[in-house]
Amino acid sequence: MKLLKIDHVGIVVRDLQEALATYERNFGLKADPSRGGEIPALGIRNAFVPVGESDLEFIQPITDQGPVAEFARQRGEGQFLLSLAVDDLEAAVQHLRALGCRVSDPNNGIAFVSPRSTFGVNLQLIQRG
Amino acid sequence: MSIGATHIDHIVIRSSDSAATAAHFSRLLGAPIRRTMTRPGTGAHLEFMKFGEVILEFAGPPQPSEGEPRAELAGFVLCVRDIHAAVSRLRDRGYPVGDPKPAVQPGALIATVRGGTHGVPFAIMQYGAIPQSPANEEPEA
Repeated sequence: MKLLKIDHVGIVVRDLQEALATYERNFGLKADPSRGGEIPALGIRNAFVPVGESDLEFIQPITDQGPVAEFARQRGEGQFLLSLAVDDLEAAVQHLRALGCRVSDPNNGIAFVSPRSTFGVNLQLIQRG
Repeated sequence: MSIGATHIDHIVIRSSDSAATAAHFSRLLGAPIRRTMTRPGTGAHLEFMKFGEVILEFAGPPQPSEGEPRAELAGFVLCVRDIHAAVSRLRDRGYPVGDPKPAVQPGALIATVRGGTHGVPFAIMQYGAIPQSPANEEPEA
């Protein structure tokens, strides 16, 4: 498995537009308008804010189901996941499963590692391009 | 208003056993632990890995807890071009920001933003902010 970089840090927020406005107005960090939007299958609305070679991903739950909504219910706003860019997602998933990790099947270039396999940290694997 | 952030310098994973957590991540991700240290003052045990320009910092108590470690994402640090200017701008906006103080990275200053970050513990940092001796150069991790 070859890790290329930290792709992004996922941050759960209550109100996406308010969070984006805060980060732009007060920190000068602007969302990339070409990425993000609503993902009904995941029950979220998101936006990406580039900072160097990585992004901050702001995530707002839009349903009361799923892990993002559950995180928001239990902890409010905060850091939700760490996304790692890999060169070969299928190979990365196989590598981690061979080490005993629980990993979701790749879907749209993304797979999730169960926090049970990482002492509690939500890890995402992503293959760009 | 910009604080002159250039990139994410590091992301913190807080753990009840930072050595065991770092070793576990190193094994899973196939990446070496680049540096291990004890934080002066608190005695916290820190271990570091690096991916591209971003450092993963595993932080834990001096003595690990028994049983399986519990870990969580616990904030990040943004590099800025001028930490004193960034602190001044944030304070002008009403942000509670600590005074810049020496970071564990030689030659660097760090200041904590204590609120208004949408639930994310957040700090800003500038390398090369403290006059350098030859030994005070930016570490690889």
